[in-house]
Amino acid sequence: CPFLLFQAKSCICHMCGAHLNRLHSCLYCVFFGCFTKKHIHEHAKTKRHNLAIDLLYGGIYCFMCQDYIYDKDMEQIAKEEQRKAWKLQAFTPTVVSHYQCTMTGIGEKYSTWEPTKRELELLRHNPKRRKITTNCTIGLRGLINLGNTCFMNCIVQALTHTPLLRDFFLSDRHKCEMQSPSSCLVCEMSTLFQEFYSGHRSPHIPYRLLHLVWTHARHLAGYEQQDAHEFLIAALDVLHRHCKGDDNGKKANNPNHCNCIIDQIFTGGLQSDVTCQVCHGVSTTIDPFWDISLDLPGSSTPFWPLSPGSDGSVVNGESHVSGTTTLTDCLRRFTRPEHLGSSAKIKCSGCHSYQESTKQLTMKKLPIVACFHLKRFEHSAKLRRKITTYVSFPLELDMTPFMASSKESRMNGQYQQPTDSLNNDNKYSLFAVVNHQGTLESGHYTSFIRQHKDQWFKCDDAIITKASIKDVLDSEGYLLFYHKQFLEYE
Amino acid sequence: ISEMNKDAQMRATINQKLIETGERERLKELLRAKLIECGWKDQLKAHCKDVIKEKGLEHVTVDDLVAEITPKGRALVPDSVKKELLQRIRTFLAQHASL
Repeated sequence: CPFLLFQAKSCICHMCGAHLNRLHSCLYCVFFGCFTKKHIHEHAKTKRHNLAIDLLYGGIYCFMCQDYIYDKDMEQIAKEEQRKAWKLQAFTPTVVSHYQCTMTGIGEKYSTWEPTKRELELLRHNPKRRKITTNCTIGLRGLINLGNTCFMNCIVQALTHTPLLRDFFLSDRHKCEMQSPSSCLVCEMSTLFQEFYSGHRSPHIPYRLLHLVWTHARHLAGYEQQDAHEFLIAALDVLHRHCKGDDNGKKANNPNHCNCIIDQIFTGGLQSDVTCQVCHGVSTTIDPFWDISLDLPGSSTPFWPLSPGSDGSVVNGESHVSGTTTLTDCLRRFTRPEHLGSSAKIKCSGCHSYQESTKQLTMKKLPIVACFHLKRFEHSAKLRRKITTYVSFPLELDMTPFMASSKESRMNGQYQQPTDSLNNDNKYSLFAVVNHQGTLESGHYTSFIRQHKDQWFKCDDAIITKASIKDVLDSEGYLLFYHKQFLEYE
Repeated sequence: ISEMNKDAQMRATINQKLIETGERERLKELLRAKLIECGWKDQLKAHCKDVIKEKGLEHVTVDDLVAEITPKGRALVPDSVKKELLQRIRTFLAQHASL
């Protein structure tokens, strides 16, 4: 990188060649000198150049005052130059550091917020302030059921309590690109967040949201009970499209290049490896996903070749009380190698013929918010029923064993440490649970959501009540929402 | 610059290489994170405040502060941090053996 090469060769003292010693640059001429060894002081004295700048921190030193000085104009210039320099650095990826990129715009240096004149005016005219204490209930609000709309209410509760989504909308980051903003679901979500965090305690009536959903996801229209999971996927899809001003779903969508807030938060990559049983060649594809649908024991598809903890590892500290299925079991089953059978031969590009193969799914890229869908509703040709098997799920989840990279290291014979505490990137915390009570024909959806660090609340349409962690973990579980514990900037 | 002895010359060359490859910046960020994590930054910040209180805000210069806290700062860096960074630099040198 030419920028770095230049820096390496030229950032040295003109008198002694050292690069340390608090290098300063004269502000009158081209001279770099050590501060510690007083080389810059000598220069100042002999040349009568009384101002110098610290090359590391940008402080301005005055040799007459014999101290660093703080000048408003200088600071303004410094800020502007720093900002410009950062934009340059964005193109040299080796130099970009973790602390200084924002999520939605690389090359923007993090700087603390300073209000503009207009903002100061607004703050003066609106003196009311909201203080967020550990016990405040701001963000909690009931939702009126508009006729079997509990499926929608639960998803709204989960979304309004997704921290990154909340931050996005409350900092006004949505710039509407729709031709008709009144039909923009993202704008409506923004309004919804304003309603939820307004501090109003009366339940909100989401009639506009419902109308927009009916307009843009016709298959969900009508007053019958719908599937909360279907609603979640439909809502994410419409939000994702409307983020880019797509009014009628006709624009060609390239999922690999979308950087909307929905993709940033919810999109993960699922790797599918198909291995030819003859030549052992592997064909890999990676597909984006917003959720992981997991089969349950008791469904018509066989669940067990595996028994819990059979490989001796303790995953996620879950107690394998005999008979209890855990979320980890479901994930293990989801990522197991599956023999595709003689009736489903795949054309192998290595053998140039149809061969039997095994298929295995693993996580290539984890989303920031992982949503697990327990497939409780069975709609096979023979029967329609609900599987009510209790599945225990943890508060904290480590996805490391299900990663594509873990599978690779297992295959290379590297023993995987059971608790890879150095890899924080795959650790998740539960923050919302959607539950279904009743049967396929008549049922009701409720949700649990997490507020602050460990306060949970049950949302039953308009009624919000405090819940214990035990209430949450003992519930049946239909949709489980997990949030990454540590965020890495890319 | 002809006054530089062999040691200083070697240091300068290594430093150049560190900058050119971007490793210096990475090491700086690593060190910064470690020193914040172990509370070093907070300790020194508190010490600075004490010095300012003692000498009086009007009478203290940046140089005074630097003189006061440098020895303490050097002493307070945990051994584990020193070890880790040394290891990183050693690995880097091994990779760029042509130096």
